[in-house]
Amino acid sequence: MLKIIVPTLMLIPTAWLSPAKWLWPTTLAHSLIIALFSLSWLENLSETGWTSLNLYMGTDPLSTPLLVLTCWLLPLMILASQNHTSAEPMNRQRTYITLLTSLQLFLIMAFSATEIILFYIMFEATLIPTLMIITRWGSQAERLNAGSYFLFYTLAGSLPLLVALLILQNNTGTLSLLTLHYSNALTLSSYADKIWWAGCLLAFLVKMPLYGVHLWLPKAHVEAPIAGSMVLAAVLLKLGGYGMMRIMVMLEPLTKELCYPFIILALWGIVMTGSICLRQTDLKSLIAYSSVSHMGLVTGGILIQTPWGFTGALILMIAHGLTSSALFCLANTNYERTHSRTMLLARGLQTIFPLMATWWLIASLANLALPPLPNLMGELVIIISLFNWSWWTIALTGTGTLITAAYSLYMFLMTQRGPAPAHVISLDPTHSREHLLMTLHLLPLTLLILKPELIWGWAF
Amino acid sequence: MNPYVLFFLLFGLGLGTTTTFASSHWLLAWMGLEINTLAILPLMTQDHHPRAVEAATKYFLTQATAAAMILFGSTTNAWLTGQWDIQQAIHPLPATMVMLGLALKIGLAPMHSWLPEVLQGLNLTTGLILSTWQKLAPFALLLQFQTTSTSLLIALGLASTLIGGWGGLNQTQLRKILAYSSIAHLGWMALILPFFPSLTLLTLIMYLIMTLSMFLAFKLNKSTNINTLALSWAKTPALTALAPLMLLSLGGLPPLTGFMPKWLILQELTKQELAPAATMAALTALLSLYFYLRLSYAMTLTTSPNNTAGITPWRLPSTQSTLPLAIAATTSLLLLPLTPAMTALLKL
Amino acid sequence: MTPAHFAFSSTFMLGLSGLAFYRTHLLSALICLEGMMLSLFIALSLWALQLDSTSFSAAPMLLLAFSACEASAGLALLVATARTHGTDRLQSLNLLQC
Repeated sequence: MLKIIVPTLMLIPTAWLSPAKWLWPTTLAHSLIIALFSLSWLENLSETGWTSLNLYMGTDPLSTPLLVLTCWLLPLMILASQNHTSAEPMNRQRTYITLLTSLQLFLIMAFSATEIILFYIMFEATLIPTLMIITRWGSQAERLNAGSYFLFYTLAGSLPLLVALLILQNNTGTLSLLTLHYSNALTLSSYADKIWWAGCLLAFLVKMPLYGVHLWLPKAHVEAPIAGSMVLAAVLLKLGGYGMMRIMVMLEPLTKELCYPFIILALWGIVMTGSICLRQTDLKSLIAYSSVSHMGLVTGGILIQTPWGFTGALILMIAHGLTSSALFCLANTNYERTHSRTMLLARGLQTIFPLMATWWLIASLANLALPPLPNLMGELVIIISLFNWSWWTIALTGTGTLITAAYSLYMFLMTQRGPAPAHVISLDPTHSREHLLMTLHLLPLTLLILKPELIWGWAF
Repeated sequence: MNPYVLFFLLFGLGLGTTTTFASSHWLLAWMGLEINTLAILPLMTQDHHPRAVEAATKYFLTQATAAAMILFGSTTNAWLTGQWDIQQAIHPLPATMVMLGLALKIGLAPMHSWLPEVLQGLNLTTGLILSTWQKLAPFALLLQFQTTSTSLLIALGLASTLIGGWGGLNQTQLRKILAYSSIAHLGWMALILPFFPSLTLLTLIMYLIMTLSMFLAFKLNKSTNINTLALSWAKTPALTALAPLMLLSLGGLPPLTGFMPKWLILQELTKQELAPAATMAALTALLSLYFYLRLSYAMTLTTSPNNTAGITPWRLPSTQSTLPLAIAATTSLLLLPLTPAMTALLKL
Repeated sequence: MTPAHFAFSSTFMLGLSGLAFYRTHLLSALICLEGMMLSLFIALSLWALQLDSTSFSAAPMLLLAFSACEASAGLALLVATARTHGTDRLQSLNLLQC
């Protein structure tokens, strides 16, 4: 555990002490080395599933893929933010890297915590750096509004969670994830227990986000700088799914009767947010709503509580993390050139940036879950298990898949195809930095399908 | 102010508080409170402008009334039970009277409206004394005497957290915002007082550290309203970068110090089967958080456009000592991992 | 409740309600405060008399001394308010409400 956490901590002195000229290369190299070493977590030989245990932290098949994703994302964020911060003074660039590093630190501790309260504290601790990334480094005045939405939606959900966790601790005497499975089942029968159930899940459902409490997400995505959007889509949303899978064990008898409205909302949300995507003019907003739609599928998969559902949810979370982050990076390459998120202003880019159009094609195909990619595997597993749970869900999930294909196509056609307008002729050419960034997103995605049991979670 | 007079007044402040600390007799405790009030009045009116005089008048009226109520409660207790000890059990009727008097003295919710106005009329140093040192003596009494009115304290506490959050939403003056934040924190302390008095002490200490760092930061910036905060990045860049963290710590966001008392209080409340009250208190903290967030937006997270004359002050060396601010700011950010040490220190 | 107890309690309560509800002049507020303190003085002295406690007989004098200090501070504030605000009406003490 410490072999990752201590180097991550040392990224902060690296950011502050390295000479200005070498700031970005050194931090990038440093974080890439951390990401490389984090791969060693994937080797899990223990019988109980828990490895790399110390007093407070450990990894198991559920948290390992998310941890590796977190470590993988930091170099990509550093790579992506290089251009838009280059106009800032040196100290602010260093502060920015420090914020990204602290975010990664909190995320690692959140995913590897073996105590639910530690997980909770780190879950909340990620709010502060993310808030600062959104509200300090966003570009429009609406970013303050977006920051407030982000903070207050999350906190309004998670403060009841704290109380609910403390109640759980009073009842079972422990909150350790290692032993929580084996504690006596709670007798959950009263009306108050149902409220407790809702308190336990609501914070994670807001973070996922569930349709209905998702309004903070598009705002935050649209206003955040590229690194903020990337980490928000790729990792922070997954905190919600991870927390739900962890807490589900304790809620056993109640979930069966109480989960219906939430599953309905999640599945309905797939269709609704997909339809919203179809009429978006704002590129980042479109990608954000597509995140909500995918996360709806994940929520449904988790709430029906079958091994397949959990596995599908984890696969989809990892695959969606890489895909949506890649899409945000692509949107950012457009944004850095046209200085607008409006899709109308950046059309027909295929003739100007042909290689970039290839990345757009691959990322769009990943987003709509094309066969060889893990996205398809995740969606398929979830849709099958939902279908097994109730036949009627196929109407919603099927429509959702169709709409996903439709808006992915819409996005691709809008930005890449068609005649190039006159004003895009003079745009800057692409950098190899951007192509490297896209490669580092899409290569792991394609490689994962060769050994998908890495992200199968508990089912493996 | 003449240094001898200033020394005499500060000595009076210390004497009053220590008298209350040391007393086991209600009359002596009352005398300590009176000495305290009388000593701070000249400090309040030292800048002789109408607002300071008005603040002093209001402070005098409320504090004298509160002290009289406390003494009346304890006299009634003496008439009913025949003893004056603070730590002995007290008859419920005078206990309520004393409790209301103490609540008026520290500014708990239904009796809170003097606090923002008084704080607004003072300069930041006196305001700092008022919101830190002046709280100690009443809290010494609150912690010592045994109250039986649990529901009264819970009601006062919840009302304070609610009103402390609600009232600050509409303010643009920093001292009023700090006053409302004080009311909200006092609400948390009152909420836990009947169940776990040492936790009240811990919360008080944490609150004192955090409010000390905020007052010192505002004093360094010489800012008394939100607009002047926007210029602070030109004066003290490092402090400006830390200020949102200090504010969020005051709002109680993990992993900062301010989360520690809230966490322990919520834990104790759920142990006492008071989960609804705990949830409500936790959610009212969001109201307070909103105005802290607004302050950090104004101070750090937006950079206002400025002319060249406006951004030069950081070139001038500051004559104020920043060591207390540095210590207070560090403790108000990083104390959460030391929770076990703090609880062991206070023998929780 | 003895008659003496009732007497000083009602005096104190009258003073307190006068302070709370009759908010016209600062001077009347100070007089109400003084009335409250005097009722406390009576309470303390009667308590000492009833119990024949010599050790407690100094207490009413201490209370009187402190209430005199308090009253003089109040009067000083009255003068200061009259000089800065031009009147002693409580309604004019409204500079800090904004």
